[in-house]
Amino acid sequence: MRYRVIGSAPAALAALMLCAAGYSTHADAGDYRRGLEKSQVCQSCHGRTGNESLLPSYPILAGQHADYLEFALKSYRDGSRRNAVMAGFAANLSDQDIADLAAWYSRQEGLEDLSID
Amino acid sequence: MRELRFVALALALLPLTGLAQGDPARGEKIAYTCTGCHGIPFYKNVYPTYTVPRLGGQNQEYLISALKAYRSGDRKHATMQAQSSTLSDQDILDITAYFVSYSEEES
Repeated sequence: MRYRVIGSAPAALAALMLCAAGYSTHADAGDYRRGLEKSQVCQSCHGRTGNESLLPSYPILAGQHADYLEFALKSYRDGSRRNAVMAGFAANLSDQDIADLAAWYSRQEGLEDLSID
Repeated sequence: MRELRFVALALALLPLTGLAQGDPARGEKIAYTCTGCHGIPFYKNVYPTYTVPRLGGQNQEYLISALKAYRSGDRKHATMQAQSSTLSDQDILDITAYFVSYSEEES
């Protein structure tokens, strides 16, 4: 009996961690409508949907994963990812702003998954 | 003189067309490793946790600058720095040409 309890503990812990991992991706879910409102500055380089870059050296944002976009913006904001232009814009964004912007761009038609052949 | 002016204009606009450089067929072969993470939909990076970015149809010039930034260590990511450290400029051109061509073929 004791063994069963001990044996089930790791499984329970793993299940908890899985739940936490699943939850964390939605914890700071953004509002895509607010994201569109807040994206005026972004649009001048990335386009309204994030699929019309002003220059080919600017990334397409449309269809990118929301949590990756959030990670990228937060990295620009804390300086761990260096880009003079993006650092300036990201510095003024709150976590909620970032979540909203990510929600907007991730919902647009654009980037695709690569498949493994 | 008029034609010359036209040729000059065409040449000046050439960089704006974003002409794909590199060999996508060779790129596909050497990009096999990339698909181990980028080819699995919703594959997660950990510490911190986020979904590995979609690359299909991304702008080639952006991808080139990203890979070169990882290679030089200017952009930090343990796996990406390790992967890009072995890539030549030609490899990067070919791989990114494949990622760009991918969405054109598939969609």
